[in-house]
Parts: sequence; C-alpha cells; structure tokens
Amino acid sequence: MNNHHSPKRGIHLGFLVAVTLSFALGGCGQKEPPAGGPAGGESSKKIVEIRAKGSDTMIQLATAWAEAYRKVKPNVFVNANGGGTGTGFAALQNNSTDICNASREIKKEESEKVKSVTGKEVKEFVVAYDALAVYTHPSNPIKEISIPELTEIWAEGGNVTKWEQINPAFAGKLTLFGRQNNSGTYDYFREHICGKTADKKQREFRGGISEMNGSSEVVENVGKTPTGLGYSGMGYKTPGVNWLKVSKAKDEPAIEPGADAARSGKYPIARKLYLYTAGEPTGELKDFIEWILSPEGQKIVTKEGFVSPN
Amino acid sequence: MHSMAGCAARIDPFHVMPEQVTNKSRRKFNFLDSIEKPTEWFIRLCGWSSIIGIAAIFLFIFKEAAPMLPRLDWLTFFTSPRWIPNPAPGNPASFGALALLAGTFTTTFIALIIAVPVGLGAAVYISEFAKGKVKETLKVVIELLAAIPSIVWGFIGLMVLGPLIKTVFTAAPGSWWGHVMVILHLASAETGAAQGTNLLTGGVILALMSVPVIVSLSEDALRAVPDSFREAALALGANPWETVRRVLFPAARNGLLAACMLGMGRAVGETMAVLLATGHNNRIPAALTDPVRTMTATIAAEMGETVFGDPHYRVLFILGIVLFVITCSINVASDLIIKGVKKANKA
Repeated sequence: MNNHHSPKRGIHLGFLVAVTLSFALGGCGQKEPPAGGPAGGESSKKIVEIRAKGSDTMIQLATAWAEAYRKVKPNVFVNANGGGTGTGFAALQNNSTDICNASREIKKEESEKVKSVTGKEVKEFVVAYDALAVYTHPSNPIKEISIPELTEIWAEGGNVTKWEQINPAFAGKLTLFGRQNNSGTYDYFREHICGKTADKKQREFRGGISEMNGSSEVVENVGKTPTGLGYSGMGYKTPGVNWLKVSKAKDEPAIEPGADAARSGKYPIARKLYLYTAGEPTGELKDFIEWILSPEGQKIVTKEGFVSPN
Repeated sequence: MHSMAGCAARIDPFHVMPEQVTNKSRRKFNFLDSIEKPTEWFIRLCGWSSIIGIAAIFLFIFKEAAPMLPRLDWLTFFTSPRWIPNPAPGNPASFGALALLAGTFTTTFIALIIAVPVGLGAAVYISEFAKGKVKETLKVVIELLAAIPSIVWGFIGLMVLGPLIKTVFTAAPGSWWGHVMVILHLASAETGAAQGTNLLTGGVILALMSVPVIVSLSEDALRAVPDSFREAALALGANPWETVRRVLFPAARNGLLAACMLGMGRAVGETMAVLLATGHNNRIPAALTDPVRTMTATIAAEMGETVFGDPHYRVLFILGIVLFVITCSINVASDLIIKGVKKANKA
C-alpha cells in the first residue's frame, strides 16, 4: 500500500512491456504497427497495446490496473507511463498515447487542440478521487482546522508553529510529517495548502518537516507522536490516529473527511482523477476503460489509497 | 617456472615411468606453462583492480556531476538549509545542503563520542587483560558484530532503540525532567523527543557499527607495542592502569588514532542504518533527540526518483563527491598515521 508516485517506475514498466511485447510479437509472427494503438477486437487472440500516459500521481494506480488487466485479457498490454498531466495531454494531441491519465480537468485550449489535430472530441472519465486527510494523535483534543491555518502551518514562512496558536485546548510545538519531495502527494498538498506568495508564486513547504517514504509511514508516525500532524491519503486511516475536519475558511463549516464528502466536493482537500481519450473509445480500449469503472477496477482504486467514485 | 622434465625428475627420481604416463604429464605441464603468463596478468589485474575501481568510481561520479559543478550556487549549497530539489512549477529549485551536512556531521560526532571510549576500552581489555578463552571469544564476537548487515542495524534502531530513547527522553510537559532535558538540549522543546528516530538513535547505531572497526584495529596497534615496554613499565613499579595510560597509549598513539579515524569513516559513509534510524528530517538539529537527515540518506532516498540528467540528479552526485572527499581524506590521513607507526616501530 505504498502510494508512492514516481515517473521512473512507469518508464521501467513501459520498457518491460515493450520488451515483452516485442518478444511476444516475434514469437507469434504477428506484427502490430507501433503507432497503431488499439485496433478493435476482431480477434481476441490478437496482441494489442494500449498506451496510457500522464499524471505522476496516477502512475502507481495505472500500473496496478495494467498488471491486473493482464490477468483479465492476456493479449492486451497496457503500457503505463508518467511524465505529468500536461505531458499526457500533449501526447493525446499527437496520438502518441491512447489514454491520458490526468489529475486535473482538461483546459479548454487543450481540448480544442486535441480536436483540431485529431478531429475528435475528448472524452472524459472520472475514475477516482485523490482525497488527503490531515491526521493527528488520538490524544489531541483539536478536532477541526481551516485551510488558511494549514497554510500557515505548512508553508515556508508560515507563522503557526504551536498547537496553542490554533486552539488553546492543546499546547506544544507542531511536529510535522509529510511525504518525500518526489511524491505526487507532496505536490498535491503543496499546491492546495501552501498557497501563493504575494507575487503569485507557489509557496514551498517550510523546513523541518519529517519526510516519509510512504503514505502509511506518515500515519504511523503521527500515531506515535502526541504533537504530530501529518497529511496522507484518506485510504490510509488507521484506528491509531484521528483525522481533522477541514473547513475552507475559519467561519465556514468544517467537513469530516470520508468517501462521500470527497465525492460530493464538499471536502476541500480532494480532487478528481480522470482518464481522457480522443474520441469515443472503441474495441479493446473501450473494454479496458469499462473494466476500470467496474467493481473489479475500482477495487484497485481503493487498494492504492484513493477513493472510488462509485 | 621450471621445465616439466625437471619437475617430473624431481618428483619421482627413482622410478622408471611408463612412456604413456610421461607423455600425459608432459602435455599437462605444457598446458600449465602456456597459461602461466595469462594467470600472472590476471593476478596482477586483481591487484590493480582496486585502483582501477576507485578511479572508475571517481570518474563516474565526477562525470555525472560535472555539468552542474559550474552552475551550482556553492554559497547556497554550503550555507543554506533550504533543500527544495522539486519546487512547484515556476519556482526555482534550491540546493542548500547545510542541514544535510549538519546531519552527517552530528550523527558521526555522536557516534564517535560513544564508540571511541568503548572501542578503546574493549581493545585494551582484549589485548592486555583478557586471557585464553575469554580473549578468543571476545575477538570472534567482535568480528561477528562487524558482519551484521547495516540494514539490520537500521531495523534495530527503528524498532528497538528508537522506542527506548523515546520513552527515556519524553517527559510530561512542565515536569522537572522535561525542563532539565530542554535546558541541556537533550530533548527539543519542539518535539519532546516524540519521535523515536532521531539524531541520538542514529548516532548510537552508528557507534555500534564503528566499534568493531575501532576495536580490531586498536587491538592490532596495542599488540604491536613490544613486550619490553610493558616489562620495563612493570619493573619501574607501574600498576596495570599506569602501564596502559603512560606507556601503551603513547606508544600505540598513531595506530589508535588511525583506528578511530577509520571508525569515523565508517560512520560518515553509512547509509541504510541512518536512513531508517534518523527520521529523515531536513533540519539543523538543536537538541540531541531532534530528527535529522544525512547526505547519504538523501542520496539513497531521492536518487531513484530523479529524472536522469536534470539538476537534482546532478546535485545528488555532487553530494556524492562531497562524501567521497570526506571519506577519502579520512582514510588517507589514517593511512599516513599508520605509516608513521611503522616507521616509529622500526626506529
């Protein structure tokens, strides 16, 4: 259960798939043009490659789907790559990917560009929710927090370093646990929580945060630290920690984290994760996306620490 | 090498060998003769391989780091703790390694404070006081200690030592023990040693790892002191403690120093154990139980995820060069010191 988003892994898997594919093709004497993409399902024995590229946040998830789908359809190879959501959309335009994994909605100019180049409307599928919870020690009486408070706690130059600055009910300096600087969770939390500087630049995290290698490690350490505060995927909640209700601003209602709150959009630290295709998917590609949205594919979403839209 | 005829004659001078056997052995010896040169070269290569290896390692690290060397802001690198290698889009990266350097040096320092007295004490006991079976057992066990893989040490730090240190150094806020710890900088006011993985845990684990190095090298150095020194000291009426302190330590001074420096080299370069046991927190520690992050742990944690060839990747190699320079100078210095011992012994 390591929600560890990395572009490299995707590349390795892609390479592995490519090598396996070339062996398989050589062995059967069938040849699929490398840029051809999925070509219908006339014959179930025919070897088909589906290329998925985009968000680094989703690479772990996409890889898990690709691996599981091998058992469903052994002749379909899903080649999952990272590189970032923007890279994924660019690849969708020049037909170098079949699926773009996206951690944000497509921009108008991006969808127009896809249409002008490929002649097809983009098709959007919401496949998961990436929802982060803010965890505290069970002995901590503080039960809710606002986004501006979180900003001052986590961002560089922020002025909140003690619990009593949030609520006099609890005293002590904040001990912060976050993710390692190359994880997608780190990026997402920074983007949504740290806010912008006066000159519209993204604020970075402050120094002195313990950077953990895995999402469950953050939760585990918070559970051992009375003054601890950490962020991690909602799926990583254990009985050993509390999570805080989060409000958009100090005077707004604080929302309890949970799958429903994430889906409804009320909970402020949640975002949708999408798949985009150029035009209505057909053949093997259609089957693959349908499988992702099926209970079986959604089981993997939950297993990777995300929230399923269903 | 001698020719085969000479050999055969010498092996069996009194027996007349059947023709066939002689022929067989003639062919065999010819074969050995023919591989004589390649073998010689192979062994020579083995001997030189360490030098080739070191040169290749240095060249590789340097090659990977080179494009970044002129571009790196060295002032920031050595004076700022702001390590932000993956900035948000639009922000510049910041490669301030001060906190990482501080992490490496503080853990090493703690390790040496513990390992040097313990290591020297153990060496003195084994070399001067322990007898027979006790001595042999201790030597074997210490060798065994050196053979424990570093990941196991890290695991012990994480699972056993960490919780123990956490219990000892965590006091109720406002209690006298809490005040004492904050005043003495044992526990920081900030964390109250709430995390088990910290500077002290890492330092103790590193100490345990460098003790075997220090003990076995110090013991060698003490054993190299001629017995006449001990006899002279005892003859002058010195008790054992005085003999050790006034005679053996000064006589073996260089060897003992070299042992400690090699122990230090071990501590500086250790990666896996500190990765697990220090808490991975990029900060300059203000207290003994603050979490820290070392250069080695940073390389190990971040290298696998960097994009090949980008500045972050290259700066990690620069960290490698810094480590390489530190450990190399420690080793060269201790080598020179050991050479000093040999000269002194000859004189």
